[in-house]
Amino acid sequence: MATRIITITSGKGGVGKTTTTANLGVALASLGQRVVVVDTDVGLRNLDILLGLQNRIIYDVVDVIEGRCRLRQALIRDRVQPELYLLPASQTREKSAVRPADLGSVCDQLEGSADVVLLDSPAGIEHGFRTAIAPAREFVVVTTPDQPAIQDADRVLGILEESDRRCLGLVVNRVHPDLMRRQEIPSPEEIAATLSIPLLGAIPDDDQIMLANTRGEPVAHALDSGPGPLFIDVARRLLGEEIPVAPLREARPRWLQRLGLGRWS
Amino acid sequence: MSSMAIKGTREGITISVGKAGIDELLTDLGIELDAKAAFLRGSKVTLEASARTLQASEIERMSQVLVEHGLRLEAVVTEDEATGEAAQELGLRVAAPVAARQPSDGPNAASVAVAKAGSQRSPLEGSRGILVKHVVRSGRVVRHQGHVVVMGDVNPGGEIVAGGDIVVWGSLRGTAHAGAFGDGSAVIAALDMQPLQLRIAQMVARPDESAGASKGPEVARVVDESIVVEPWAGRS
Repeated sequence: MATRIITITSGKGGVGKTTTTANLGVALASLGQRVVVVDTDVGLRNLDILLGLQNRIIYDVVDVIEGRCRLRQALIRDRVQPELYLLPASQTREKSAVRPADLGSVCDQLEGSADVVLLDSPAGIEHGFRTAIAPAREFVVVTTPDQPAIQDADRVLGILEESDRRCLGLVVNRVHPDLMRRQEIPSPEEIAATLSIPLLGAIPDDDQIMLANTRGEPVAHALDSGPGPLFIDVARRLLGEEIPVAPLREARPRWLQRLGLGRWS
Repeated sequence: MSSMAIKGTREGITISVGKAGIDELLTDLGIELDAKAAFLRGSKVTLEASARTLQASEIERMSQVLVEHGLRLEAVVTEDEATGEAAQELGLRVAAPVAARQPSDGPNAASVAVAKAGSQRSPLEGSRGILVKHVVRSGRVVRHQGHVVVMGDVNPGGEIVAGGDIVVWGSLRGTAHAGAFGDGSAVIAALDMQPLQLRIAQMVARPDESAGASKGPEVARVVDESIVVEPWAGRS
């Protein structure tokens, strides 16, 4: 089967592109896919930290492009998922060190040896973004439920619709079910309708995710509790399964948890 | 400095060329497209030749470079009669530059006004217009010297500028400017009117923030020197 090359992008920064990339990488690998996640945010690399692989980096994507190593030498295997690899960004160089064609040839080399390549795009719509999108035939848009993020996602969609790339859909991050219920913020379904793209999933604003990012243990490793299963569902939808998007539940009051009526975990 | 500028627009991409010689143009075009080819592939191209003259053979050579990079030349924007005729000979659409640029023009402002070369800046002909069959997203500008009908939403940050009327068959959440050349009788109609801003001729209106959400189709027009929005009541 041909290798799918998918860029994760958003326009605005801080909405959870890298969190989404790390967790989708883990989720896809746990579903049996051979996955390579590529950090294209040269100069501001983060994806390695989210995966807890920052102390294993020897070579990075710029080393591959400039011929200091072979691609195989720069790929770092995940600590948990044997079929998940990271290609880290360089921390010391700038975005100009990678041209769109360079990233294209890196992806060409992965053709056949990976099922899915996830390219984590930098924020913005300038050079770094254009490089990250160049090799991809498909893309996923990430947003948060606030108007600035939604408007930037819309802008990115406008740019990408000019090309023949396929939009796989929208991931809405950092959803506050409480604000949503009070209709202070639009629901993920409403945001997807505004942007006129399918909804791939909604992820609550959850302390566990921030802790996981700090610890380098993506929540998607936990298949049966917390937000992990939500990322697994997004991954399944990326693979073409039709799973309805379940409405997010509000966190249960603490006294219910103490009485043992909270969620099983 | 490159001898040209390449901009993305709602309709495709616009390549504006300056006064550089054709050989320099072709070289620079090659370089620019090599760098951006993967991103631009499949786009329709409008060539903006402002006031310079291009021979049919020159346009053809540029078109060839574009084709080699997976792009298609569709239209030429020019004020020059000879260039217009040359483009027509090649079967390309010829457009005149938009006459009145609005102060709000962003760098992405597209400038494709469909008209025969030489006939621009005439008073608006009532029958002329375009139909836009997609969402107008943030950062996009649809600009036409006639009427504009959008089947879809206009999202916040998106903009419609029309010489004539504007009809949005969807939600108008961005900015709309009707009668942009000064026609105060132009109207703006939308199924769901929630604009950031409405403009008709020289007038500007923001929605009343204290008013509740609109229900049903509405139409905006100028009444006594100000823009008034009313429920759509059939005939206008």
